[in-house]
Amino acid sequence: MMIQYINQYPEDEQFDYAKRLRLLRERKLAQTEEKIQKEGGLNEDDYGRVVAPDYFQFQIVPNNPDGKFYGYSGWTENYTKLLAEHPLYVDPLDAFVGRGFFFLIRLRGIGWNPAYPYDELKVLFDKYDIISGIGRDHHFNPDIKMGLELGWGGILKKLEHYRSINPPETYVFYDSEIAVVKSIIQFLHRISYQLSEFALIERNPTLRKNLEEMADINYRMADGVPQTLREAIQWMCWFSMLSRLYNRGSAGGPLDQLMWPYYQHDIQNGIINDEDAKFLLGCLFFNDSRYYQLGGPDLEGNDTTNHLSYLILEAADAVNIACNLTVRVHDKTDPVFLRKAVGYLFTNKNGWPRFSGDAALVNGFMRCGYPREEAIRRISSGCHWMSIPGKEYTLNDIVKINNAKVFEVAWNEMMAGAEHSLKKLHSLFGEHLKRAVEATADGIQFHLKYQDQNEPELILNLLSHGPVEKGCDVTKGATYFNMCVDGTALATVADSFAAVEQRIVREKRLTFEELDAHLKSDFAGTEGEYVRQMLQHSERYCQGNSLGDEWAQRISKEFSDLVRAQKERYPGLNFIPGWFSWSHTLLFGSHVGATPNGRKAGTAINHGANPHPGFRRDGAVTAMCNSIAAIQPGYGNTAPVQLELDPGIGETEEGLDKLVSMVRTLLNSGNTLLNINIIDGEKVLEAHKNPSLHPDLVVRVTGFTAYFSMLSKDFRQLVVDRIIDKRSV
Amino acid sequence: MPGMVTSIQRFSLNDGPGIRTTVFFKGCNLRCAWCHNPETIRLQNDLLAYPEKCIACGHCVPVCPTGAHARVPSGIAFDRTKCTACGRCAEICFPGAMELAGYRRTGEEVLAEVTQDIAYYRDSNGGVTLSGGEVFCQPQFAKELIDDCVAADIPIAVETNLCWEFDAMRPMLEKLSLVMFDLKLWDDAEHLRWTGVGNALIKENIAKLDALGIPLIARTPLIPGATDNAENITAIAHFLAPLKNLQYYELLNFNPLGESKYRALGLENPFEAARPLSAAMVDPLRTAAAAAGIQVKVG
Repeated sequence: MMIQYINQYPEDEQFDYAKRLRLLRERKLAQTEEKIQKEGGLNEDDYGRVVAPDYFQFQIVPNNPDGKFYGYSGWTENYTKLLAEHPLYVDPLDAFVGRGFFFLIRLRGIGWNPAYPYDELKVLFDKYDIISGIGRDHHFNPDIKMGLELGWGGILKKLEHYRSINPPETYVFYDSEIAVVKSIIQFLHRISYQLSEFALIERNPTLRKNLEEMADINYRMADGVPQTLREAIQWMCWFSMLSRLYNRGSAGGPLDQLMWPYYQHDIQNGIINDEDAKFLLGCLFFNDSRYYQLGGPDLEGNDTTNHLSYLILEAADAVNIACNLTVRVHDKTDPVFLRKAVGYLFTNKNGWPRFSGDAALVNGFMRCGYPREEAIRRISSGCHWMSIPGKEYTLNDIVKINNAKVFEVAWNEMMAGAEHSLKKLHSLFGEHLKRAVEATADGIQFHLKYQDQNEPELILNLLSHGPVEKGCDVTKGATYFNMCVDGTALATVADSFAAVEQRIVREKRLTFEELDAHLKSDFAGTEGEYVRQMLQHSERYCQGNSLGDEWAQRISKEFSDLVRAQKERYPGLNFIPGWFSWSHTLLFGSHVGATPNGRKAGTAINHGANPHPGFRRDGAVTAMCNSIAAIQPGYGNTAPVQLELDPGIGETEEGLDKLVSMVRTLLNSGNTLLNINIIDGEKVLEAHKNPSLHPDLVVRVTGFTAYFSMLSKDFRQLVVDRIIDKRSV
Repeated sequence: MPGMVTSIQRFSLNDGPGIRTTVFFKGCNLRCAWCHNPETIRLQNDLLAYPEKCIACGHCVPVCPTGAHARVPSGIAFDRTKCTACGRCAEICFPGAMELAGYRRTGEEVLAEVTQDIAYYRDSNGGVTLSGGEVFCQPQFAKELIDDCVAADIPIAVETNLCWEFDAMRPMLEKLSLVMFDLKLWDDAEHLRWTGVGNALIKENIAKLDALGIPLIARTPLIPGATDNAENITAIAHFLAPLKNLQYYELLNFNPLGESKYRALGLENPFEAARPLSAAMVDPLRTAAAAAGIQVKVG
């Protein structure tokens, strides 16, 4: 069973790289369309995944009466079974094989081993609308370099070695991992064999030769160590697929650094030229759009941008699909490279690349007590997050507290009491925020204690420093535990406090009781709408030196201090605050009634660290970026800037120069991460009405790029509303 | 002393080099028939009315000292003839149906706003641009802002019609990093017809300005039926050609964005039906200007 495109072209059809990439892109878009038709809106990355063929249905093997499977044995049995049955996807136009159809975690369902209940914590999670992270997976960065140096054969030997020197209680770990790696090697041998068979029947000589090469490479990569660029990328494609297949593991690595030795080897030995390299890199992006970092400093602070960094951008340009490339901007960033990178934002309008701010990230991580070298090794790896490859366990971008809910709890408690004042409201907010953060830390501790009995990280353990050596899951054996705790709804809460201070305390236009009545009625009636508009036009976050800015800075500091304090409660763990909602703006908003910033009940909270739309009449990017820089928690995790710019801005050389300067300045002014959408407004509006009109339209949704048409209707509406808001200013 | 400002636009990318903040002054000494910022013409307050935003809450009725707002069966009626543009309704009209064009701002307040983007000016070779309206209608305020920006080491530029006594402008001009000036029509009578004043003083000032050694950008708005003829553009371009400090000559296509403001101000818009020139119409004008041997841009 397999998906294959053998003998699709006549024997005499000629192919060059441009043609192959074009055809692969057409196929990719058709597959995206198929995903939309069959699976509907998914507010997430593309993952390079393909819809499974109708004839292949995988049946999980439960090991629990609830119909699911848990722990080492359950995951090992199901993963090895899935690998044994997984069909091959092969496209003779492609330089690589490595497409997957499933995430095993979704076939099982996200869940938690019922043997370890946490009902008491759930009460608090519900009260404060906390996404706890209990039972969640991956979201830390494997050390791909280690994998490339060991190969699957080397990983197997390493496991066998450490099994031989560790005590019997670790055998359950080793036996699971060894079974998994053996099944991977078997799977790759099967792939290689099938590729050889296809090579025999493919009629087109160019494609036949390609299949023969793929068969050879995959045979070697089953247990060998990559020597060439093509072998190294093929190894990464499989690791990516195998990790996705298990639990959607997403992080990539510093692509230009990882591939540089292989590229140099091939160039020096006359194996490839730059056009070959670009084709190989383009095919990598078709296979998977993992998060890759480009550029940035080496351990001495020198710029690491190399020739391959440029080729990667050019390859991404050639395929022009959702590419999660992050350019790490530091004080010695190659200006030509930066300009080229910013230019692609405008020429392709596909939300890539994005930009991380080295100075704020490195200095922040050092404030956690790490040396500069480790901070530099911490690379951009996910939607909004950084991670040291192979060394950290983090739950990055998973754990979220809905601070708008915390605010609502505080507001309601104040109104139920005798004292109605800003001081009381702030004090109650602080108390509830403390309880929410502590409950979150308790949840993280609980997760770390039992997650290996729920879902051990059988794939990412293999490229982590610690688990294999110690004989335990990464949740117990990582080198560092830097647990991410993200706050959300900063603007919603800050603007609410600011509106209360301005309209009730200072101007006395309203009383607390009147406002409460308007909130409870969701601003009903003409007077309700008038009050809502009044609140909405208060001094808001991101206006620049406004009451909203003051409150945002105060709340961010309070939140950060509370998160940092959790390490005293749980020695050995480090807790790092950030501001990021991911795509939960709608979900979190739906759980909260009307708020004093003039937000109606159930509508979205603000996006990440961004202001609510309409924050300033001129929508000034600089004002917004300054304000976001001022609320950075400052411990190495991010509070990203999300910009949506008109394509006209970058049309001229002069305009592009200004934007390059803007990117550099905002990242040198304390910001940590910058996502930019160049919004072709008409196209977005058309696609919203009829998604199939523009299946290739890519927007950067939060930290990730996604096909606009793959977003749910509500989420598309959110993007559309932002455009309309910009036009009305 | 405070000045009248209609708005402060940060992250301004079209008012000079680099990333800038543009401060729009209120009040103008010309009366260009096509003005696309009609709310900046008068030095005094103006009230902009946007009835489509009115939610008929009625809060404007009791605060109006002249009874310009009244409840009627269909909502709220606004009688502009009674309005003194005191701004009391605009102050409490949060839905935005009534807006005041023009706020008193002290130099300190403006400086506090523009200095927030210093890092962006530095990296992009940008700065602050004073625009309008006409900047030199408020000479003391302009002088204060120019001095403050120079003291803060912020490059400062001015957009002006140069229709002032040169000696009054000179102390300020000398401190600028760039002057963007308009010469809208070559023919003096035509200039008088369309803008309300002749252009002899402007032409005289352009020559004097060039002697100060400050980088200059000259601009002509392309107004259908008024300025958009090759004869006009050619004559202006040849006049500009000898200037030593001219960076380029910019032809600014007609901007129809003033339409809603005319309606909001209750004013008749003489160019209501006008639309921007097509590329086919602009290109010959660009060619005509370039024939004078100067660099030409179309904005």
